[in-house]
Parts: sequence; structure tokens; C-alpha cells
Amino acid sequence: MRRFPVNLVLGAALAGSVTLVALLSFIWTPYDHAAIAVTNKFASPSFAHWLGTDQLGRDVVSQLMVAARNSMIVAFVSVVLGGGIGIVLGVYASARGGWVENLIMRVSDLSLAFPALLFAIMLAAVFGPSLQNTVIAIAFINIPIFARISRGAANQVWTREFMLAGQAAGMGRMTLTFDHVMPNIAAAIIVQATIEFAVALLAEAALSYLGLGAQPPAPSWGRMLSDAQTLLYLAPQLAIYPGLCIVISVLGFGLLGDSIRDLSDPRLRRER
Amino acid sequence: MSFFLLRRTGGLVLTLLAISIVVFAVMNVLPGDPALTILGIDATDDARAALRVQLGLDDPAPVRYVQWIAGIARGDFGTSYSFGVPVAGLIAERLPLTLSLALSGTLLTLVIALAAGLYSASRHGRTGDWAVMILSQLGIAIPAFWLAILLVLLFAVNLRWFPPGGFPGWSDPLGSLRSLVLPTIALAAVQGAVLARVTRSSALEVMRLDFVRTARATGLSPARVLWRHVLPNALVPVITIVGMQFAGVVTGTIVIENVFYLPGLGRLIFQSIANRDIITVQALVLMVAAVVVLANFAVDVAYALIDPRLKARLA
Amino acid sequence: MLDVSNLSVRFGDAYALRDASLTVHPGDRIGVVGESGSGKSMLAQALMGMVPESASMSGILKIDGTEMTRATEAQWRALRARRVAMIFQEPLAALNPLRRVGTTVMEPLRTHLGLSRTQARARTLDLFEEVGLPDPEQRLAAYPHELSGGQRQRVLIALALACDPKLLIADEPTTALDAEVAQRITDLLVRLSRDRAMALMIISHDLQVVARATRQLLVMYGGDIVERGETRKILSAPFHPYTRGLLAARPRPQLARPVPGTKRPRLPTIPGHIPALVDLPAGCRFSGRCPAELSRCRTTRSTEFRTGTGLAACHLLNPAERSKS
Ligand SMILES: Nc1ncnc2c1ncn2[C@@H]1O[C@H](COP(=O)(O)OP(=O)(O)OP(=O)(O)O)[C@@H](O)[C@H]1O
Ligand SMILES: [Mg+2]
Repeated sequence: MRRFPVNLVLGAALAGSVTLVALLSFIWTPYDHAAIAVTNKFASPSFAHWLGTDQLGRDVVSQLMVAARNSMIVAFVSVVLGGGIGIVLGVYASARGGWVENLIMRVSDLSLAFPALLFAIMLAAVFGPSLQNTVIAIAFINIPIFARISRGAANQVWTREFMLAGQAAGMGRMTLTFDHVMPNIAAAIIVQATIEFAVALLAEAALSYLGLGAQPPAPSWGRMLSDAQTLLYLAPQLAIYPGLCIVISVLGFGLLGDSIRDLSDPRLRRER
Repeated sequence: MSFFLLRRTGGLVLTLLAISIVVFAVMNVLPGDPALTILGIDATDDARAALRVQLGLDDPAPVRYVQWIAGIARGDFGTSYSFGVPVAGLIAERLPLTLSLALSGTLLTLVIALAAGLYSASRHGRTGDWAVMILSQLGIAIPAFWLAILLVLLFAVNLRWFPPGGFPGWSDPLGSLRSLVLPTIALAAVQGAVLARVTRSSALEVMRLDFVRTARATGLSPARVLWRHVLPNALVPVITIVGMQFAGVVTGTIVIENVFYLPGLGRLIFQSIANRDIITVQALVLMVAAVVVLANFAVDVAYALIDPRLKARLA
Repeated sequence: MLDVSNLSVRFGDAYALRDASLTVHPGDRIGVVGESGSGKSMLAQALMGMVPESASMSGILKIDGTEMTRATEAQWRALRARRVAMIFQEPLAALNPLRRVGTTVMEPLRTHLGLSRTQARARTLDLFEEVGLPDPEQRLAAYPHELSGGQRQRVLIALALACDPKLLIADEPTTALDAEVAQRITDLLVRLSRDRAMALMIISHDLQVVARATRQLLVMYGGDIVERGETRKILSAPFHPYTRGLLAARPRPQLARPVPGTKRPRLPTIPGHIPALVDLPAGCRFSGRCPAELSRCRTTRSTEFRTGTGLAACHLLNPAERSKS
């Protein structure tokens, strides 16, 4: 008795449309997102400016589109970077076992004490705030998450018979890792990556809201919100759109990841 | 039990030391010149060299690390570059606000999570359950700072029930409470949404167990079964997640303080970043990380207190 | 005190219990036997008003003269523990692991009978004494994991007795216990039933337990009560082909002799396997597996006829059938 996968469809639809809009922004936006027109500031939504203009007369839709692209790039790069390092560590830990595995897992436990925000704060204090720091900080928190997941999944693969057979046939642990472990843990990792992508989008928004992320003139949803917060009495609508964009994209990728996990492997099912 | 505590405490001390090394390494050993950061690129080489001497930056890093830790052990976190006063004093001044916010936020989080989670579990598969689940799914996707802005928009800008931000100081207790209401809600709503799902699934699992059937067969009312029998048993996973989420609460507090311009530690960190006040940032980051680790430690101990079976095994 | 007629429990079209009728008087000791899935627990749950939410109940179930088939949960709650109480198979799982057993037993005393803390405590001590728990004072403060299996089952019995029920249902009370302890628990139940003039219903796979503890017997298969009567007589002279199969499949006495530290042999088996609930034949549930099947068995259900030992629902007993053959 399989229900209609509402979450999957909804998640895919939301995530898909955000991705499409972000891609579209490379080739087309209604206006130049940075074009200032002071005479036309705080314009209300109209046919010319679908969501109106901001305090400098810039087109809101164009800014949101470019911001979508920026957010997704940050989230993508940091998940791939942190995930890549984490997977290598996790799989290596699993293949070596013993004290190496213990050490890697201990260290990754330790790094759970550093939320992305704290790491970004340290980097910002030393190097000044920048987009790169955001990427590094978010990538950093993804390392232990992926190390943990891939070690767990890899350890399961190592108990399977074909692995014993492989070892008996004299194949090296690294060869076995590439030939058998990696393909078998790929599904779990892709699911996790989708979920962490949503988390990264949320972290990027928070960091750029706090001024630790993308610097002007690069638009980002978080910074648009912190700008709008100073204008709440004048133009409350500007504080709505970027927030909705964040919710839609985070919800989309979160639902997508969760429902793929539920469909692909009920044993992994776990409430977030 | 005491052996368990001893071992856990030893692990805690080691972890704290390791964290301090990481913090120190990131802020001192990574290529980057604090003197350059502080004075900016316009400063002369001489001025930078002088500042470096003043900050003791010419000693080798391990020496400086040991000095730093030794100072902290004495309660001396160094002197803030920008405020010119001891960092410990700055922290002490702002800690009460941050603590109050974190505590009230955690409390409200628990209230929301337990109420929503248990309600949802007791209405499993019915409309009420669905409504709670949809709300919590949304809650997870909403950034706390945006929810905060929306709250300000509604309750401060439009309805004028609460101030949009700022803090009158503890000498005005009523005003202080009023200015903490919106921050507390913003902090708790999102965390509560995450925790409500955990509570629900944990309660559903417990409700399938035999002793719940016994309680029903004893003629106890559904409410009593839920609160006295299901809840305590469902609490263990919930507490685990509370511990794991504590990092989220702490960073949430930092963010929320900045949304509402509350003069707590979170504001202090950002002021210090803007002032290039590395010593202060370093001390604060260490403190926050330490709090996260301590929270996890507290959770481990709390387990043993909740669950007599565990207590027996640890004895 | 309990009057049941044509009680059925259905999941959609599948009957987990079909047209069960029985009467229970104070002091009765009734055994219920049958293979796994025959509806024994469903009968017990129905008597407690605790059938799963997905099930629907029909027929007449009178407790102390009150019709309960359509009673609300609140009405049931007023009867549970006070009229009908129940103990379960896995005593460890059936006790809240985070509560001291004393607290567990005191709870109904305080909520239902409105006793004060001290009164409830004194009453609990009496109950612990009555069910033969050693050192009752100390047991009050024990957690379930600190007790042995037999002691846990005694705690559950004390809990069930707390509000003086008129009927105690024990659903496989000894399956999880080793043989010697099982015997002592069984004897305890009998003693309690006698002392309190309380009706006792023991559900078991274990024919020895039933033989030892009960005077009347219900044999169930596929949701039907197929044979009933005096326990001793049915066990020595079963009539229904299903009962005969069940008894024939019973382990030899010398094999079943209790060996300390071992669990009792569980399921007696009859050749063939039990069809799923929805695949049961519409007539006699046993048709298809029955060695003495008649052509009409599959489609029509027999009413109950007298046997030498009691009643059985089997067409073989129908005078009309007998005259044919
Ligand atoms: N929630 C449910 N939904 C559907 N069918 C159920 C449900 N609960 C029980 N049943 C069915 O009802 C029938 C009777 O079950 P019951 O538990 O009364 O058997 P039993 O005689 O107690 O068996 P056992 O000796 O294994 O305890 C079984 O076929 C079972 O599959
Ligand atoms: Mg049963």
C-alpha cells in the first residue's frame, strides 16, 4: 500500500523551480540587478517591476534571481568540498579500522562543537568577512557529518560476504574501497548531500544576514533582509520576498532529501 | 556511577583543551597578521611592528597558547583591544542577558515541542497530526532571523505591543521582560519545530510498547497514560536531540541578539569583529564552544538520572 | 457477571472473533486454548474494551448487566481494573521501566479509589504479600529490571488485583517464564480466584497449565469457539476434530516434564497450516484441514451440539447427518 509521494513531488517541484530560476539568472533577468534608479525607489509591484523596487530603485525580482544563483553556488561548493573531504576521511577510517578510525571519529566528534556560525566568526575576525569564509565555514561543518555517514555505511559494506571474498582473493583494502564500498554507499551519500544542501542554504542566508557572507554589491537573500529590516516602517514588503525565497528553497531541498531517503531505504528513515 | 562521572569528566577536560587549541590555531597560526587586520593596510611597517610587540605576537605560538590558557585558568581572558578593558569584565556584563535568552528560549522550545509532539502522537494519522506536521515542516525551513523580522513587523511595527529591539537594562525589569518576549519566540519556534517531530516519533514508538497497554488496562485516563507513562519514556531521545541541538540554540541566540539589538554576548562578538578585536572574539568563541560541549556532557549525565536501568549499569 | 452472546470483532470483512457466546459467574475458572491466531487474545481484548481502533465490534457484551458493545472509551475506563482486569505475557515489557513497581501499583489505588499516599502504600504492601512477593517493603522501591521474571508477573498480578476486579484475564501469563516458576504462578492465580471468589480466564498454549488451573475450557480456532465444556473431560475425551488434533499434537508428558531453567515447549502443531484471516472458509473454519470433513462444512457453519462432555460446533454431531451415514 504505497501512498502518493506528496513530499517527493512537492520537494522536487520547489527545488526544481528554484534551480531553474537560478540558472535562468545567468542568461536573463528583467533588469540589471545592480542598476540604481534613485528616482524610482520603493516602487510598488507593477507590470514593469513585478515585485517593485528597493531603496535604491533596484529591481527586486532581478536581485532575488541573482541572489538565488549566489546562494546555490555557495551551498553547492561548500557541500561538495566538505562532503568530499568527509567522505574520504570516513571511507578511509572504515578501511583502516583500529586507532586510525578511532582518531578520525574522535576528531570529527570534536568539530561538532563548532557550529558554522562560530567558524565563520573566527574566520571573519582574522581575515575580515567574505564569501570565501562562508564557503569554508559551511564546508567545515559538513566534514564530520559526511565522515560519520560514509563511515557508518562503509562499515556495513565491509561486513558483506563479497568483501570477505575480495580480501581472500588478495585484493587490497583501497582497491576494494574503490570497487565495492564507494558504489554501495553512493545512494546514502547523495541523500545526505541533498539534505545538507538545504541546511547549507539556510546557513548561507544567516551568515549573509549577519554581514559575514557575500559582500555588496553581490546580492544575497540574507543581506536583502538585513537591509530591509532597517526599512520596516517604510517598505515592509521588502522584508517578505527574500524570506519566502529562503523558505521555498530550504523546504524544497529538505523535502526532496527526506523523501528520497524514505523511498530508497526505509532503514535509514529517521525524523529530522 | 562515580566511575562513569570520573571518566566522562576526564573526557570533558580533554575535549575542552582540544577545542582551545583549535580556536587558538585558527585565530593565531593561520596566515594572517592581526596587526595588519587591526591597523589596516595604510599603517606603516613600524606601527605594525610596535603593535605586534605590544600584543606579544613576537613570542612563538606555543608560548602564547600556554600563556593564554594559564590566564584563562586564573580568570584572565586578556584585555580587549578596542574597549581597553579586561575581556572577562565585558563577558560578565553581558552574560546575564544571553543566559536569560538562551534559557527562556530552551524552555519555550521544550514546551512547544512536548505539547505539539505529544498532541500529534495522540492524534496519530488524524487531522490534528497532519496540521502539526505541516507546521513543523515549515518551521524547520524558516530561518529564525526572518521569523524574528516578521514578528517585529507584526507585533512591534503594526500592533506596537512590544519594542522592535533594544534593551532597557535590568533596572527596568518589566521593560526587560517585554523586550525578551519576541526574541524568545523567534528562538523557540524554529527549534521547537525540529524537536516536536522528534517528540512525536519517539512518543509513537513508546505508545506501541506493552506497558502502555498495561496502563490502559488499569483504567487510567488517556491524558494520564500520555503524560505519566508515555512522556517520561519518550523523553530520552528528545533529550539527546536537545543536547545535539544546543549548538543550534547558542548560534540562534547569537543571531537573534543581532536581530533585536540586544546587548549580549552575541552582539559583543559582532562588535568585536567590526573592531578587529581578536582577543575578545577568541575568548568568546572558546566560551561558546565550551558551552556546547558542556551541554552535551550534561545530557549524558541527565540520561543516567532519567533512566534507572542505565544508572544500574553505570554503578 | 459477564454475559456475552454473538460477540464478533471484525477487521473489514475478516472476523478475528466470530459470534462468541459465553457466560462467566463469580469464581469460574475458564481456560482458552487454540493455535496461534485463533482469536484468543482478541476475545480477551474485547472483554476489556481494548480491541484495536481499526476493528469493529458487534453483538452483545454485558458486564454486570450493562451492555458494553457500543460503550465509549470513558465508560470502559470506569470498568477496567474495577470489574475486569488483565495481565499479559511479557511481564518485563508490561511494566513501565522508569517507574518503581510500588508507584505503578499505587497509581490505580490513588486515581480510582482515591486513597491517600499512605493508605495506597499500605494497600500495596498487602497486595504484594497476597501475591507472595518476598520482602514487600523493599520491592516497593524496586524497578522492573531489578526483579526476576516471576516477581514481575506477581507485581502485575498485584496491579490487576488493586481494584478488586470480578474477572481476571491472564493472556499467556506463564509463556515467558521457566517451567517451575510458571507452575507457581498458575497455582497463585487459582488460589487468588478461590480466596476472592473472582472469576479467572487463563489463555494459554500450554495444555498443562490449563488442566492444572481451570475447570471449564473453550477451544478456539479461526475466531470461532469450536468446543467447550469441563476442562478435565474435554482433555480426556475431546470431540471436535480440531480439539482432537490439538491434543494429539501435544508433546508427550515425559518430554513436557518441567525441567528447571527451560521454557516450556510452545506450539503444539496440527498438520497443515492456518490460513490467513481473510482466507478462512466461510463455514467451519477448520474445513480444509479437517480429517473428517463433510461436504457442507466448507460453506455452512454448524450450531453447537451436545457432546458427552459439553458442546461442540460440528456437523458430525448433527442428528440429521448421523442418520444419513
Ligand atoms: N490490528 C490488527 N489488524 C488486523 N488483524 C489483526 C489485528 N490484530 C490481530 N489481528 C488478527 O486477529 C487474529 C486473532 O489474533 P489473536 O491475537 O487473538 O490470536 P491469538 O489466538 O491470541 O494468537 P497467539 O497465540 O499468537 O497470541 C489473528 O489472525 C491476527 O492476525
Ligand atoms: Mg495472543
